[in-house]
Amino acid sequence: MRILNAASRRGLDLHYVNAEAAEHDHQATLVLEVNQKQVGQLFREWYAIADVIHVASGAAQTVPWSSPHPPSGVTMEEARATARA
Amino acid sequence: MLKGADIVLQCLRAEGVDLVFGYPGGAIMPLYDALDGSGVRHILTRHEQGAVFAAEGYARVTGKVGVAMATSGPGATNLVTGIADAKMDSVPLVCITGQARSALIGTDAFQETDVFGVTLSLTKWSRLVRTLDEIPAVIAEGFYWARSGRPGPVVIDIPTDMLKAKKEFSGPVKFTPHARPADAKAEGGFTDTIVALLRQSSKPVALIGAGAKISGAIPELRRLLDLLNVPTFATVHGLGAVPQQAPYYLGMVGMHGTRAANMALHETDLLLVFGARLDDRVTGDPTRFAPHAKIVHFEIDPSQLDRVRPCNLPVIGNLADTIPAFDAELRRHSLPDFPEWRAVACGPERAELDPRGLAQPTIRFLDELFGRLPEDSVILADVGQHQMWSAQRYHSDSPRGFITSGGLGAMGFALPAAVGVQLAKPNTCVLCVSGDGGFQMNIQELATVHRLGLPIKMVIIDNKYLGMVRQWQQLFYERNYAETDLSDNPDFVNIAQAYKIHSFRMKEDVMREFPVSQETGDQIDRFLHSPDPELLVFDCAPEANVFPMVPAGAALSEMLLEEEPTQ
Repeated sequence: MRILNAASRRGLDLHYVNAEAAEHDHQATLVLEVNQKQVGQLFREWYAIADVIHVASGAAQTVPWSSPHPPSGVTMEEARATARA
Repeated sequence: MLKGADIVLQCLRAEGVDLVFGYPGGAIMPLYDALDGSGVRHILTRHEQGAVFAAEGYARVTGKVGVAMATSGPGATNLVTGIADAKMDSVPLVCITGQARSALIGTDAFQETDVFGVTLSLTKWSRLVRTLDEIPAVIAEGFYWARSGRPGPVVIDIPTDMLKAKKEFSGPVKFTPHARPADAKAEGGFTDTIVALLRQSSKPVALIGAGAKISGAIPELRRLLDLLNVPTFATVHGLGAVPQQAPYYLGMVGMHGTRAANMALHETDLLLVFGARLDDRVTGDPTRFAPHAKIVHFEIDPSQLDRVRPCNLPVIGNLADTIPAFDAELRRHSLPDFPEWRAVACGPERAELDPRGLAQPTIRFLDELFGRLPEDSVILADVGQHQMWSAQRYHSDSPRGFITSGGLGAMGFALPAAVGVQLAKPNTCVLCVSGDGGFQMNIQELATVHRLGLPIKMVIIDNKYLGMVRQWQQLFYERNYAETDLSDNPDFVNIAQAYKIHSFRMKEDVMREFPVSQETGDQIDRFLHSPDPELLVFDCAPEANVFPMVPAGAALSEMLLEEEPTQ
């Protein structure tokens, strides 16, 4: 449930929910309308949720995540340029 | 066979809990019924918000988990501000709430609220107990998350029928979390990178936040800072982590930080952050925050990284691990020295405070108070102007000696939190500084102070305004003092006396003498050393302001050092 908080605090729209049986549970698919930066922000907040075991993304444009430092969704160069603009 | 309520209390004991704060009511009644003989002492506050702030005070000063209890519905919703406060300031807290009985959940039963839902975004972890069998596991997991990693608040909501029902109980359990693939510690070799950055740098600085204190690695941090010998400053929650007399220490940074700290942070080319999340009160305008700096961020919570600016080097992990590792590695290197930069950043021309500040009677009063406190006293500041004055004048080296609601900024925090602190530290002088607005938000806790005979020293800085809001109205809203006038305040001295607490008033004029008169000094000493609770109401000039000040949206270098002349 806490996963949705990361979306709600940013006022993200959730247009689509689909739940289907998956063995003994149900697998729910949520489609959030997000930009690249928000993908990074959601990654970080989901990763920080105490009992979330794994966070992954199928988004091809997402910065690869191979360290304990989740991607921010913007490149260092982009962020520096923004900060110094 | 044991009742669920007895199981809850046995599990609390197994977690080391011997003190809880709360307020009884219908759904939580079975738990109260089981308290006697449980080994858990309950402190009755006069409002649930008082209970949760008291539990926070206990947790903040001890580092242990604070526990608050309340009934369902309004009892639980009254905890919400404290839960949010604990989330913002990383305070280990477990709140146990009664809930309508299981069969009635979802029926809008009497005093039923969706406490799990209401607190979902404010908690680190929470659970609505669904079966009697899961109580031990839920409590064990709740305490684990409250105290592990970056500490935070947990809510455990228990339907009243679970508290009444009986079952066989084989004892408390331990919780073992699932391993997470990305939970690796800081990548090795970060010291080499930092040394390289130090060698490239000509103006390095260190910023100390709450994480350094929460980690408990203060001795290690101090050794490291002595080795680095770079200009250093602290957030409001980092106060006390760095020895005040350290020649490289510049005081508090941020919106009401010292000029020296803010200037150094603005000019630096290498910022070493130890356990601070770099919120807007520290950074000012994020697009102009430390504009020339590369950032190395020691942090336990990866979600806090890169929020304002991407850091060049994240060092993820508990500072209790990463600081000693960094210190040990660093000693193998030949480090650059920065005497010219220190001479500028720590030099006398960047004086700690604007000259007018020292002439202000309220600041003089706080200096007198703080200067006469016994060693290892604990100061609690509520929220507002007095909070920032107190933070500016705090000069103790005690890492847990200054407690305030920093992230949430919850007025009414200090008095009930002082109850928790005094119970945790019965032989320590506890000084609670509030404003006249905030004090009235939990004034009912004077009854708790009196009932327990807690020798808390309470101060109200009474300017008959909501002072900080009024200051902003003065500076940024053309003196339109909309709804901040409290000139019809009650007589706080009489109110305290109605609660059977000794109280007196002090006029600010007595602080215009320097040094203060013997009589005034004696009066303050008697106040601080009394074995009983005391309330001192200090009359503050209505339009006294807190300076320096970085206006919202300005860069740290654009601080106001005093008021603009009025037209």
